[in-house]
Amino acid sequence: MASIDIDLIIGGPQGGGIDSAAQIILRAFSIAGYEAYGIREYHSNIKGRHSYFHVRVKDEPVRSLRYPTDLLVCLDSESPFVHMDDVSANSIILYDEDLTNTKLDQVLTMEPETKKHIAEKLKSEGYDTTLAGALRYAEKRGAKPYPVSFRDLVVESLGPNKSPARYANTLGASLAMAILGLPADFTKVGIESVFGKKKEVVEDNEKIVNAGYSYVKKHRPGNGTELPVRESGDRYIITGNEAVAIGKMIGGLKLQTYYPITPAADESFFLEGHDYFSAAEDDEMTAESDVLRNLGVVVVQAEDEMSAIAMAISGAMTGARSATGTSGPGFSLMAEALGYAGINEVPVVVTLYQRGGPSTGLPTRNSQADLMFAVYGGHGEFMRIVYSSGDVPEVIEDAVKVFNFAEKFQVPVIHILDKNLANSFYIIKGIDYSKIKIERWKREESKGEVERFKFTDDGISPMRLYGKDIIWLTGDEHSELGHITEDPETRDMMVEKRMMKANAILKGIPENDQVQLYGDENADFTVLSWGTNKGVILSVLEKLEEEGLRGNFVYVKLMHPFPSDLVTRYLSKSKIVIDVENNYTGQLSNLVRQNCGIVVDNFLLKYNGRHVTDDEVYDGIKRIIKGKEKRVVMTGGA
Amino acid sequence: MVHNFRTDLWVDWCPGCGDFGILAALQQSMAELNKKPEDFVVLSGIGCSAKTPHYINAGGMHTLHGRVIPFATGIKLANPNLTVIVDGGDGDLLSIGAGHFVAAGRRNVDMTIIIHNNGVYGLTKGQASPTLPRGIKTKGLQRPNIMDSLNPIALALSVGYTFVARGFSFDVKHTKELILKAIKHRGTAVIDLLQPCPTYNDINTKEWYEERIYYLDKDPGWDPVVREATSEAVEEKYMQAVKKSLEWGDRIPIGVLYQNEFVPSYEERIAEHIPNYFSEPPCDSPILNSKGEPLSRMETVFSDRLIRK
Repeated sequence: MASIDIDLIIGGPQGGGIDSAAQIILRAFSIAGYEAYGIREYHSNIKGRHSYFHVRVKDEPVRSLRYPTDLLVCLDSESPFVHMDDVSANSIILYDEDLTNTKLDQVLTMEPETKKHIAEKLKSEGYDTTLAGALRYAEKRGAKPYPVSFRDLVVESLGPNKSPARYANTLGASLAMAILGLPADFTKVGIESVFGKKKEVVEDNEKIVNAGYSYVKKHRPGNGTELPVRESGDRYIITGNEAVAIGKMIGGLKLQTYYPITPAADESFFLEGHDYFSAAEDDEMTAESDVLRNLGVVVVQAEDEMSAIAMAISGAMTGARSATGTSGPGFSLMAEALGYAGINEVPVVVTLYQRGGPSTGLPTRNSQADLMFAVYGGHGEFMRIVYSSGDVPEVIEDAVKVFNFAEKFQVPVIHILDKNLANSFYIIKGIDYSKIKIERWKREESKGEVERFKFTDDGISPMRLYGKDIIWLTGDEHSELGHITEDPETRDMMVEKRMMKANAILKGIPENDQVQLYGDENADFTVLSWGTNKGVILSVLEKLEEEGLRGNFVYVKLMHPFPSDLVTRYLSKSKIVIDVENNYTGQLSNLVRQNCGIVVDNFLLKYNGRHVTDDEVYDGIKRIIKGKEKRVVMTGGA
Repeated sequence: MVHNFRTDLWVDWCPGCGDFGILAALQQSMAELNKKPEDFVVLSGIGCSAKTPHYINAGGMHTLHGRVIPFATGIKLANPNLTVIVDGGDGDLLSIGAGHFVAAGRRNVDMTIIIHNNGVYGLTKGQASPTLPRGIKTKGLQRPNIMDSLNPIALALSVGYTFVARGFSFDVKHTKELILKAIKHRGTAVIDLLQPCPTYNDINTKEWYEERIYYLDKDPGWDPVVREATSEAVEEKYMQAVKKSLEWGDRIPIGVLYQNEFVPSYEERIAEHIPNYFSEPPCDSPILNSKGEPLSRMETVFSDRLIRK
């Protein structure tokens, strides 16, 4: 058990420096030797609407978030309202006391539906629909409001000419760190690390840190004990988007294409900023291979997603490791070309970050509702791999593996991720390169025209490439040479050639990369899930185990071709299986039913777009096991 | 034996199809370039013209309706040493793929785009393509065309193509010369190739074109090339080409309408921030070191994400 376990939310207007505040908090705790994990929640908006950063800090690895939060830092008048249910006994609500009398109606940034729901809650318990009312609502649940005049503190430390709003984020972060007991030096180093190059900003903010810490010294919310400083080293703070980019680069990415879309674009944007770099040292490199000292990755902003996938398919057919990144709407546009990659057996990687659908849906919120679309999207039948990852350390390695799968089996790979992963922050020590292997297709030297689609026992032909071989591809059914054919026998053989690759894939990918079983095979209950709910589930299973409820976890990574034998083996001993997913229909349970013939009929689902937290999975599992409920919908999150 | 760029497939276009002339001109120009067949990739979209790559003995990629330009762009960017030629129909490039046609002008990737322009969608029985004027009723149409036509030359000029030409597919020699100039041009070259569809376009026939076309190249006063890198020089040639693009009807000019080699190609723009892009292109850039370990490391590539103690 962790002796330090702090959950914190800092909320404010989009564009109001929440990102910087998040970075300061993460960096300060990282430098002080702590582990942290956080997720950013935000509206589809540039400036003004409510966004927040939810983070948990521990003295051991963190993989999930929870409610109630311990410290709610409100940088705007909206935060106390929308997060009033996210607190309970002993939570501290840090807020700007100059906003105390704000009426709910005056919060222009808040959507009318949200206002209505909050007003109903406040009125039903007899509170005013003001910020003070929201605080009293939270106080009734045990939370302790902690008033601060942001304006007074900014004026006191920087004089009357600086805008208090501009420093709200660093002041909020400083007050939060002071309340949590992290020594001021770490907060200052965090600020320096974030604003490094801007000397004046750093100086101003150091004054803000001092003001925040001395205020907290005067108005102690707790017993004033300092957090112990732990052993630490140099570490990386990266988001899920960045982790995918890092994994792809290590895996040898040479061409990345994209069309801007949330929450995928940050990955390509990050790659654009790192597209020319020095290669790893190699003692055996000779003077002739000096050219290897620098490497480039071509990142292309395409005119649309149809173009993005087309470019990546072509890149792959020249021998360059090529990928594109997108989200649901973009993937819908890619469906036709995905079939082209399927019929032409092209090793292209599509990184698919799910977000709330259908249509534009919830463009900045989480979802796992595109699983069926990833598995079946596109007309006709063709072989593809759909592969899922659940957290930052895993996705770095998987981003390499999906290239290996694509090239070894010569199929398109959809690397299915989600918004939660994209916008989660992790602290990692480094990468264990011994775990990373790069495997490519088998090629044969050729002269003249060659059979790109040569029939083989396992359906995998020797790889042929543009620029090296004379080959033809076509979206039509084709001969071994790649020319159009409608010959019925050849058609049968070609369909079978492509589809039989399922055997090679299921045989060729190690079992542990297909499905992972956490916990004992003979547990009292089984959680079935995939993707970013992994961390929450593992965290909750530990807690339930302490209470004597022994659960195991079947974590599926290879979504297609479906690892039916493995999943059947793991589920056949289960007494109660609970399917945990961020969608309405329990899409993974449908794949299990279809492929294994096992009916999973207990569901713990969430589709409001917000990240899943420990408390709701804990409650849900208990309601299903003890309360015999069949379907529990999780509704947490502002 | 000299490679003749022919495959032994039966060419299944209708007798009298304009595609035959384009295919012959392409094969002849490829043979004249003294390159290996694997140094070319000929790409097509969907439709009659899309079968072209199968009839050419060189790298061939028959792609999707409208998407041929992005596929071609991917080939060229991953391997800038290849000669990339796009064969697309007028519907393919100017209707379903119009967005890509516009983006290609803005990119200026070093490749050649040939528009097989016959005014109709032949393979689906002769519907109007974007180049068929309003009010015209070709024999495949239920009633006269209800949409206005677009002007491929003016469109190409306005979105930044650096080589714009028009040809007539039944003059194979002239078409071959145009293709050679287009391939040698550094940047994206587009050729609007007028061609009859003997089956579905009974208006714009071989004879109809032959009565109207005239050769710009034969006019000693015609110079389509931007000779110096000044905005005045560009404007002069650009306006001259736009004006010429409006000529249609009794007289139809063919030949090179505009050429500007002062615009850097997209590949050159990439090389500005990836200096070894041409010597180590994506298709051949190494992934592993001599010990089989990844050459890209988080420590070197992403050092800005390192938070030091």
